[in-house]
Amino acid sequence: MIGKKSKVLIFLYLIFLVVLFLMCSTDLIIREPEKEVYRVAVIIEDVRDDNYGNFRKGMDQAAIEFNADVQFITLYERLNAKGQMELMEREQQDGVDALIVVPVEEQRVTDALRENQVTVPAVILGTGSAKEETTGMITIDYRAMGANLAEKIKRNTAKDCPVVLVEDTGGKSEAGGSFLAGAAEVFEQSGYSCKLEEPKGEEAYREMLKGLSEQGTVIVAGSPEALAETAAALEEDSSLSSRISGLYGRGNTLAILDDLDSGLITGLCVTDEFSRGYFSVCMAVGELEKASTGKTMKMDSYYIEKKDLREPKYEKMLFPVE
Amino acid sequence: MKKCCFLWNRVRYVQRKCAKKRGRRGKKDEKQVAGLLCLIAVCLTLTACSGPREEEEKTSIRIGVSLYRGDDTFINNIRNELEAKAKEYEQEKGIKVTLDIQDARGSQSTQNNQVERFISLGCDVLCINPVDRMDASVIIDKAMTAEVPVVFFNRQPVEEDMNRWDKLYYIGVDAKETAMLQGQMVVDLYREQPSVIDLNGDGVVSYVLLEGESSHQDSLIRTEWSIQTLKDGGVPIEKITGGIANWERSQASALMEQWLNEYPDTIELVVSNNDDMALGAIDALDRAGTGGVNVVGTDGTVPGLEALESGKLLGTVSANKEIYGSAIIEIAASCALGERLPEEYPLTDGTYYWPPQEILMRGEND
Repeated sequence: MIGKKSKVLIFLYLIFLVVLFLMCSTDLIIREPEKEVYRVAVIIEDVRDDNYGNFRKGMDQAAIEFNADVQFITLYERLNAKGQMELMEREQQDGVDALIVVPVEEQRVTDALRENQVTVPAVILGTGSAKEETTGMITIDYRAMGANLAEKIKRNTAKDCPVVLVEDTGGKSEAGGSFLAGAAEVFEQSGYSCKLEEPKGEEAYREMLKGLSEQGTVIVAGSPEALAETAAALEEDSSLSSRISGLYGRGNTLAILDDLDSGLITGLCVTDEFSRGYFSVCMAVGELEKASTGKTMKMDSYYIEKKDLREPKYEKMLFPVE
Repeated sequence: MKKCCFLWNRVRYVQRKCAKKRGRRGKKDEKQVAGLLCLIAVCLTLTACSGPREEEEKTSIRIGVSLYRGDDTFINNIRNELEAKAKEYEQEKGIKVTLDIQDARGSQSTQNNQVERFISLGCDVLCINPVDRMDASVIIDKAMTAEVPVVFFNRQPVEEDMNRWDKLYYIGVDAKETAMLQGQMVVDLYREQPSVIDLNGDGVVSYVLLEGESSHQDSLIRTEWSIQTLKDGGVPIEKITGGIANWERSQASALMEQWLNEYPDTIELVVSNNDDMALGAIDALDRAGTGGVNVVGTDGTVPGLEALESGKLLGTVSANKEIYGSAIIEIAASCALGERLPEEYPLTDGTYYWPPQEILMRGEND
């Protein structure tokens, strides 16, 4: 028989256990560290994210590692600087903690930062043409990229071959402009004749290629879109291929890499977009935690041809596994 | 609240008075107290019924989208439509729409994790293209617990799952209609110009069949009704062979190459469950240098339409992707905002919406 005293003790012990359980389960004793989720908005300069496949993979990877909630925002209208500024404003009002911006007009964005129109930490992914020391920047020197490409083309191209520079379709991006300017400078200094073309629409690309002389023209496309359009026009009408000695440009999309693999594109300038996406989020979180402010990172660019596609270094960079 | 306090004080006051005057006014006071208590009860009931104050109008919504496989051409087309329609909605209604689009890469467990993340990120509604339509219950469980409505699309979860909650919707083409339209386009052409379909003129149309995933509801239905429509339409058909190419161009291409070797100069018609596989068959025909074989697909994907334009594809059945995308975004947005569902997308059984489809044939619909 259990005595009255023992019953009371058992009862008290049970109550103690219940209280202990409640204290543990309600974070009174063992408190889980609270993780702050950073809201980061990425605003690109385009209406579509076709050129941002690898970038997004890197961005998503960093979002998981740094506990960030990253929202990827495209413009309503291509290369519309005003629209981009409005979206930046909207995101700030909506309470984002940091912004990552691929500017349509770099100067305009850096001016807004300088004039404190942007009240949250921002990371600019641009050409580095506008200097801004108070914010993080990841830059690609498109001018040097274009110049480097022209140097490579020069090695295999006779001086009497005409060079056609194809400007961005649907508007002129700063990146495309710098890239072609860098290439044009090298070609002109070396005595090549350069011509600028600005076709708009599929038919215009076909017409441009049909209008080429039979000498074996070199085509350099300023943007991934212009490169893909030119390659598509060449694929459609194989007779046009005889008029050109090489198609070059920049871009990392799967379609462009396929065209390089199939031989439609001769040479390509690429960047490590996965790392760019990853580091942009890292930098934004760094800015938020005041771990790093005003840092500038320069991304390297690489010239590749079909044979380089299977090289581990490029394979890893161009086809990153999540 | 102030009213309640006042009434309570009044009750206490009356009670105190009652205590003092008990005996003197006994029954009269008791009646007064009872009356006051009734009044309180009525007030409390009315307060409870009025519920919380009207919620503030939402100015932004967040939609979590999970795709079964981002590299599927049709799904990729739908994804592009979703992005475009979300922007349109944003501009028209002035409500910010955040689309979180994730690729489940053919893994149901990845998709389940994505759903969990969407919910933890505070998505107002989920748009899910399930990896395994038989296994949507986990997603539904999570959504029901978090009270987040779900709009499924393209791959229809089983009816049992769809009936579990009234905030589950499905948007996708009617597979039977697709198949019948695909069969009908061949029937019509055969009636008009038999020699275009019966290439060797032997009175029998020899066909091969490319089927999608065996677990996808549309594969079986498309196969069954497409062939049935050909038979019903009086096309004398004979099946040479068929195979499952899992909706993929490369797999279809490999199968077709094999069949061309096994049955040279025999195949007159290729019936494919989708455009990607039809394009795979065309690739194999091109490689083999075999011309004239008619290939029909469905979906109306961008590459499919290009093949149609170039004359390589005889025809396809296309869902109106604009309506498809709009329906997903607008139904999802209405759910997120707690509004009535848009009337332009009438739901069957309050759950299913079937976007309209049309036949697109070589040389027509330019």
